[in-house]
Amino acid sequence: MTDTTMASAAAKPVARTSILPGNFWGLVRRSIVYLLLSIAAFISVFPFFWMIVGTTNTSADIIKGKASFGGAFMQNATTFFTQVDALRVFWNSAFIAVVGTVLTLAISSLAGYGFEMFRSRVRERIFGLLLLLLSIPFAAMMVPLFVMIAQAKLVNTYVAVIVPTVASIFIIFYFRQATKAFPSELRDAAKIDGLKEWQIFLYVYMPVMRSTYAAATIIVFMANWNNYLWPLIVLQTAENKTITLIVSALTSAYVPDYGMTLFATVLATLPTLIIFFLLQRRFVEGMLGAVK
Amino acid sequence: MSSLSLRGVRKSYGNVEVIKGVDLDIKSKEFVVFVGPSGCGKSTLLRMIAGLEHITAGELDIGGQRMNDVDPSKRGIAMVFQSYALYPHMTVRENMGFALRFAGVAKEQIARQVGDAARILALEPLLDRFPKELSGGQRQRVAIGRAIVRNPQVFLFDEPLSNLDAELRVHMRIEIARLHKELQTTIIYVTHDQVEAMTLADTIVVLRDGIIEQVGRPLDLYDDPANQFVAGFIGSPKMNFLPATIVDKATGKITVELIHHDKARLTLPVTSGVVGDPVTVGVRAEHFGTAGAGNADITLDVDVAEHLGSTSYVYANAGGEALVIEREESRHETGSERITVSISADKAHLFDSKGRRLR
Amino acid sequence: MAQARLARREHLTGWAFIAPALILLGLFMIYPIIWSLWMSFQVGKGMNLSFGGFANIERLTKDPVFLRALGNTFTFFIVQVPIMIVLALLLAVALNDATLRFRGLFRTAIFLPCVCSLIAYSTLFKSMFANDGVVNQALMALHIIGAPIAWFSDPFWAKVVIILAITWRWTGYNMIFYLAALQNIDRSIYEAARIDGVPAWARFRYLTIPMLKPVILFTTVISTIGTLQLFDEVYNFTAGNGGPSDSTLTLSLYIYNLTFKFMPSFGYSATVSWVIVVVVGILSLIQFLIARDRRSS
Repeated sequence: MTDTTMASAAAKPVARTSILPGNFWGLVRRSIVYLLLSIAAFISVFPFFWMIVGTTNTSADIIKGKASFGGAFMQNATTFFTQVDALRVFWNSAFIAVVGTVLTLAISSLAGYGFEMFRSRVRERIFGLLLLLLSIPFAAMMVPLFVMIAQAKLVNTYVAVIVPTVASIFIIFYFRQATKAFPSELRDAAKIDGLKEWQIFLYVYMPVMRSTYAAATIIVFMANWNNYLWPLIVLQTAENKTITLIVSALTSAYVPDYGMTLFATVLATLPTLIIFFLLQRRFVEGMLGAVK
Repeated sequence: MSSLSLRGVRKSYGNVEVIKGVDLDIKSKEFVVFVGPSGCGKSTLLRMIAGLEHITAGELDIGGQRMNDVDPSKRGIAMVFQSYALYPHMTVRENMGFALRFAGVAKEQIARQVGDAARILALEPLLDRFPKELSGGQRQRVAIGRAIVRNPQVFLFDEPLSNLDAELRVHMRIEIARLHKELQTTIIYVTHDQVEAMTLADTIVVLRDGIIEQVGRPLDLYDDPANQFVAGFIGSPKMNFLPATIVDKATGKITVELIHHDKARLTLPVTSGVVGDPVTVGVRAEHFGTAGAGNADITLDVDVAEHLGSTSYVYANAGGEALVIEREESRHETGSERITVSISADKAHLFDSKGRRLR
Repeated sequence: MAQARLARREHLTGWAFIAPALILLGLFMIYPIIWSLWMSFQVGKGMNLSFGGFANIERLTKDPVFLRALGNTFTFFIVQVPIMIVLALLLAVALNDATLRFRGLFRTAIFLPCVCSLIAYSTLFKSMFANDGVVNQALMALHIIGAPIAWFSDPFWAKVVIILAITWRWTGYNMIFYLAALQNIDRSIYEAARIDGVPAWARFRYLTIPMLKPVILFTTVISTIGTLQLFDEVYNFTAGNGGPSDSTLTLSLYIYNLTFKFMPSFGYSATVSWVIVVVVGILSLIQFLIARDRRSS
């Protein structure tokens, strides 16, 4: 902010005659910026704190707004584990998220590479069409998609949740953008070294682009883990439900047991939170890469 | 024995033709340099030889075999790229052995060949490093090493020195020349730097706009350029071009009048040309003599003089026409002086209005 | 021509790389979209459908619940998207200052809500905004309100909670895009402006905003699509009914209810879903036109 003072001082030399120190207004501005950022940060983080505190309080305390740690943690945990087949639910979530992520990365990165490396007029047109489709809301295909899944007798299966999401236009686009930074001379060198195209992809492209894959992994994993509407539609029996669906069901109860529900929410958020903190840099980089 | 030949080779992208019919024979063990301004098609031509670009029309033979449709890895070539194109996730050793791994060569054999190449290039202490841990010059050597390991019939170099600083470039140039002597293989080398071309090549191929302007030994191109483009492109400083008109013609000689130099006349041993035609007289900076020593004298205003120690370049003009003159004796000429220099007919070249050489 | 063999092989390889994705997209996206377009002209309950021409579109205009949902969705869109974009932009500019301390900490904190699933955070908000909950208590302690607000049973405040919740969840997300774009701007442009004596607000208005225009457009379009598809939060807050008295019912929730809750009316729900497609298309077009207009002037 000292730079701002310099600029305004240059524009209005009179300001410099003030008895106050030259950067007084700079300090004020800076303090306001810090204050506002602190408020924003507090608002952003408070619900997480609330969530953790909530796991230790009874539902009655939570509704009364008790924001300090209580002693009901074990009680909440016990209620949750007796009401929910936690192992089963986590297995469902983990299976769907992991398999879905691996397949999405494989299929979508292949396509992103293909679109960028092998340009042709027809393929460019197709790519343009895909970008247009990106703006079509899921609601518009939800009903036919459900009918298709029902007719194929795939309701209540993992396949029904995973397969329709595997070819992600957004991730294809993301990989195509990232591939623009892949040095084409590496591909040339690999060709001269005798590699077939799929070998170039496997032995050169994938290892070279590993940070792109890392960022995409986080994005796709989170999307799959947190996916709600589609699993809600196709997973209708208790033994197939994901943690996200369970949390929603617990919240939607007529009188929700918030202590237990917040305990479940922590469990549902923990994996993504851990991944975020482990790979924070990659994640932000990945997000940045998508805009460039 | 011809190691590589191009017959009527063309390349087009859609309707745009970038290589417009190239015929060329390259002898075994020859060091050939493709040189030309950017966009002349020299890199495209090299990539066609490598198999990285398809040949739209014409024939490519390497070692007597038609190679148009052969996979790049089976053409008996190896290539060194401008950016070196080292695989960033592999060590130097793995980079150098990568091609052999995919050719199904046994592990011990790969180790031996990589070791041999590393010894030639003094890369042994670097074998277990990753490319990002190497300096520019070291990366360049690894790229060359990777090519050597494959034991190719023909080495292709695509502007290999353009990413290096000036000092390193001179050093690597000498290194490459030494390597050619040692390996005794055919090398095709692309550059836009005519100094590299002059110093490295056995044969220079000058390209412009997708066609070959001239093929020849470096000094032949320098002394006897086929046209105004080659005359201007080869040599530093550039050849001076003085506009003139043919005023007289006799058997075996014609006389031209220099437009900007008080109608100074010069008679040249040239047989073609028509009286009245506009022409260009080409004179190299070092071929101007002292006043009266040549066949015509011209007087110029000095703009700037560059004193390089062993020699000096004088930038001068006459009526707005800028010339560069090399003068060994005039060490302290400065601006706002007038000098008179002479042109010798036997050192001057004559070009017609389309840039063709008149002989 | 034999000459083209290498070229043809390359061409086929190109198709091979994109084929798996294209097949899946065709099957699970393009086919359902076309089907739903066809469906939107069908009338009837359950699987007994017959061609109804424009009957569904007629029904739309007379369906108060649909009009309610459309209105609600628009309210969310018109109020929430601008607030969030401006907030994200200001935060990004503040955080782009290299001399700011704790930048990383602030950035992480403000971005953190994105990690939360839509369901998890709507659960959190539901518990925080309970009648005697922490939000009401805090507001009362600060003397901003005198009596607790009945957040979820008042139609107005129910909308406010949803807008607050979405803003909480997505502001950091948009901010990251702006930060990225800001970091791509050559610093010397700002240095030149400073030397030229351009004040801070003018640097923001005449340098930052125009240079960020493509990203602002991108995030606005993305946010528009997201808001018009609003579902998870509302479903979770209101146990799926969009209450109180349809005041938070969104188009996506209405489609869901038409399909899975009431006697299924596939044709009609497809028609409603195409309303979203058309609205998204129109809004994106308008946003593009506005962005282009400013550029030419």
